[in-house]
Amino acid sequence: MRIVHYVNQFFAGVGGEEAAGVGPGVREEAVGPGRALTAMLGPDYEIVATVFCGDDYASSEASAPEELLALVREASPDLLVAGPAFTSGRYGLACARLGAACARAGIPAVVSMHPENPGLDEAEPAPVIESGKIGREMRPSLERLACAIERLAGGEELREADGRIGRAPRRNRLAEHTAAERAVELLLARLAGDQDRTEVLLPSFGSVTPSAPLEDPGHARIALLTEGALVPMGNPDRLESARATRWLRYQLEGLERLEEGTYQSVHGGFSTVAANADPHRLLPLDAARELEREGRIGTVHHEYLTTAGNGTQVATARGFGVEWAAELRQAGVQAAILTAT
Amino acid sequence: MSATRTPDGERQSRTGLRLLVHDVAAVAVGEETSYAEGLLTVGEREVGELFFHPALASVRLACASPGESTRIVKILDAVEPRCKGGEDGTMFPGLLGPAALSGRGETHVLRGAAVLSAGFLPRAQEAVLQMSGAGAEFSPLSGTHNVVVEFDPATDAPWEEVAGALRLGVLRLAEHLARAALAAAPDVVDELEPLSTGSTGLPRVVAVTNIQTQGAFKDVLVYGRTMAGSFPTWMDPCELADGAVVSAQYGHPALKNPTFVHQNNPVVAALRASEDVELAGVVLCPEPVSEKEKGLVSEHAARLCAALGADGAIVTKEGGGNADGDVALKLDALEDLGIHAVGLFAEMAGRDGTAPGLVVAPTRATALISTGNYDELVKLAATDRVLGGERLGIVDAAATEELELPIAAIYGSLNPLGWNRVTCAGDA
Repeated sequence: MRIVHYVNQFFAGVGGEEAAGVGPGVREEAVGPGRALTAMLGPDYEIVATVFCGDDYASSEASAPEELLALVREASPDLLVAGPAFTSGRYGLACARLGAACARAGIPAVVSMHPENPGLDEAEPAPVIESGKIGREMRPSLERLACAIERLAGGEELREADGRIGRAPRRNRLAEHTAAERAVELLLARLAGDQDRTEVLLPSFGSVTPSAPLEDPGHARIALLTEGALVPMGNPDRLESARATRWLRYQLEGLERLEEGTYQSVHGGFSTVAANADPHRLLPLDAARELEREGRIGTVHHEYLTTAGNGTQVATARGFGVEWAAELRQAGVQAAILTAT
Repeated sequence: MSATRTPDGERQSRTGLRLLVHDVAAVAVGEETSYAEGLLTVGEREVGELFFHPALASVRLACASPGESTRIVKILDAVEPRCKGGEDGTMFPGLLGPAALSGRGETHVLRGAAVLSAGFLPRAQEAVLQMSGAGAEFSPLSGTHNVVVEFDPATDAPWEEVAGALRLGVLRLAEHLARAALAAAPDVVDELEPLSTGSTGLPRVVAVTNIQTQGAFKDVLVYGRTMAGSFPTWMDPCELADGAVVSAQYGHPALKNPTFVHQNNPVVAALRASEDVELAGVVLCPEPVSEKEKGLVSEHAARLCAALGADGAIVTKEGGGNADGDVALKLDALEDLGIHAVGLFAEMAGRDGTAPGLVVAPTRATALISTGNYDELVKLAATDRVLGGERLGIVDAAATEELELPIAAIYGSLNPLGWNRVTCAGDA
């Protein structure tokens, strides 16, 4: 079986965070974790190429999945393996998007990451196999991945028992008992102390650990962000008012105020009258400029990022978050104020 | 309400209800209504009189049995034929008789039969029921012998009056049909025992039944009146068996609770069938539209369950995503009072089943039953005959054609009261 392996710049040996902006590249051999994986898989499997990319590039360049897919195609593999990405957000997103792009293009794919990785929901239709949380758990993560690859090679579907994670599509079927009878059974199980049994797992939105406070705000670059769908009057780039699939950036350079009538909110989830009368109540440029003048913050980042957080799918919003973080970090931003409606 | 004392001194509020069950194996339209050897004949002329009302120009009767190449569309309600056997109260109190407490004495049931009304009403969503072939596996009513009433409204009659006249006619017909079995020996006698009040030592469980209360064509009648604006109330399940709750709700074909389902409350039936719990009755709740009121009703419902000494509760809803909030808030309120709570939800997970299924999810309760994914498409075989209408607006096709539509259109398929067996699971 011919395998193409995808890893980030770090596992490809290109470099650490300083190389996160590196674009797509190929090595015609197994590299890093790919070598260990080859050893586990045995002689019937060969990693014919390792495709890699910097994390920032892969997660924030819109064209990255297509560029990477083209590199994968060139090696005409039987399978694309991406990761393990552990809990690394940008890496996980890149693995998931490439896995999904390959699967949609008819190239079988399997992705490896931790269940808390924000990329998890974007891999579909490619299956995701659970990895450990951090790089130190590389070996058991690769072992599980190798088993999954062998099952795929045997023409089998990956199931929960194989370590498959993520939202499997929900399909209707007929149960043996009515829903009312099953409800009584479930209640009896709960009364008997079983705290886990259920037919519907609630979505887990995870939690984010806040960063430490800025040591020196007086020299920090601060970005303004909003999910309030604030756009220039007339919505020239057609931002969606609900179920947004993208985000936009607009200039703040040289702008002291957001005058009434020059910006508008196209958010479909609240009455935008007050926000349109004074756009600062969505994007506090007035206060930010004041703080800037007083020297209490360094500079206001020269553009603001905006989207509509109304009915937007959680997976999509998570992706926006990773992209924004990569974008802002690359631009040297130390802190951001994100307003929500 | 009569209160009696058992020998050990325990107080009982009711005396129980005896169901005399007559099996129906075939149904036909004929000269006179009769029931013999499992054959139910519906007397056409007598039935016409039951529907006499200035808001109705005419009604037509037809029968549809399991296995027939028939599709029934635009179904509005389904009622199980039942009547009272003695002097104890009336069937469908508040509608066919005085609004006095029901649920005692003897009740005759024609099991295996249903009376269906079908046709156009405003705000009604088109329901589809397949009596054979692909698609028939999705509704419990594909397995009953159905007496179908089609109707023409009187010219200029207000729609609310048309709906009311039709509803009364269907209830009268259901009662009239059951009367034909008054003299017949029952096939089964089902004693619905009085509720115990904690003497068994088993966990006490309440069936918390939410009903839709969204005004005309989207309401449910309790003793003939709307529950909109009311607080939750406790009911003896025997009252439901005698038709204390009647559907006047024509939305959400898959997510509505037809009168049939209130008569046979599936959660109550499953709790009665279990030897490991003690049924503590039904807490009937309205589903207000605003979140504040949903919260208020939910807290009161939970408190009522606590006052009943409940160890557990099963919470059900009626309607679409808005009603998910009523279930979620009640589950959390119950868990907050230390009462184990199980909720029934239909999922709205998109056609491919990948979207989050619940519109409003509980934050503390986690025991959930899935009655299936609303959005998934199902195929229905073409049929020779259709009742209820010639065309289906949802797919803009002749109503007899082979169809592909969301399971949400199949009458009773995702029933929120747990009537059916459709469920939903991930493939991984």
